[in-house]
Amino acid sequence: MSLVPWCDGRDGMYGFIWRLLPGNTWIKALLSIVLALAVVYVLFQYVFPWAEPLLPFNDVTVDNQ
Amino acid sequence: MAATTDHEEHTDAPASPPAPRRRGGGPIATAVSVLGELLITAGLVLGLFVAYSLWWTNVIADREADKQGDKVRDHWAEDRGPVGLDTKDGIGFLHVPAMKNGEVLVKKGTSTKLLNNGIAGYYTNPVKSALPQDKKGNFSLAAHRDGHGAKFHNIDKLKKGDAIVFETKDDWYVYKVYATLPETSKYNVNVLGPVPKESGKAKAGRYITLTTCTPVYTSRYRYVVWGELDRVEKIDDERTPPAELR
Repeated sequence: MSLVPWCDGRDGMYGFIWRLLPGNTWIKALLSIVLALAVVYVLFQYVFPWAEPLLPFNDVTVDNQ
Repeated sequence: MAATTDHEEHTDAPASPPAPRRRGGGPIATAVSVLGELLITAGLVLGLFVAYSLWWTNVIADREADKQGDKVRDHWAEDRGPVGLDTKDGIGFLHVPAMKNGEVLVKKGTSTKLLNNGIAGYYTNPVKSALPQDKKGNFSLAAHRDGHGAKFHNIDKLKKGDAIVFETKDDWYVYKVYATLPETSKYNVNVLGPVPKESGKAKAGRYITLTTCTPVYTSRYRYVVWGELDRVEKIDDERTPPAELR
């Protein structure tokens, strides 16, 4: 029985990434955390600042446009 | 059952059904699996976006606002000539005790880029704001309700009679709230008028107007608070704050 249940047979993208990572389970886990942090960094630094003005959550001024 | 030539299978598991642990065979199962993972991913990204909007932008903006505020105070301390207002770096600090958010740097303009630094801005358009030292007019400000410092988050805590104090290099301008408008259209630029009629005033005077978005976390409407100048106090050497801030 595999440690990660979704690696059996049916596996989606997360299972695929897991199998692609080198090393034993511990190294895989560590690399997964690093990958997740990298994704969060890219989102916070680039994607969200870009997306935010396009969403109608934070307009505070009155204007006539 | 038809006779089989496969003896091994026959002896191991007589008349066994197909292996029960076989998973992910059909295309429907695969589609559901992919959809599930996409939904999980989308959920995580949206959750992160909420964290970004309501927490991270505040961290960044407060840091930037502190930096810019320190710069203004440094300039004041250096005493660059007789000019009481330095419009480029910021004209002063807004103190609203009822909002419990410390001091808010005020700069010229209300562009998103500017307000995202955790400051308040005074309007230059569609209606040009007056400045506190002007003899008549409306000093109109905008700041974020949530995220990016959320400087006007507690605007709904302001009640009639509460103090709004504006600090410049040389003076404390003490305003008193006299009217609020909890919900108005974002196109209602009349609230910024030199004499804000909706607040019940008809004569020219020295007013202050705070605008932000409402309800919280959205920007469907605008929240407006009006104040009128109560008095001006000269700033002494210790920069003793007026009674309202003590």
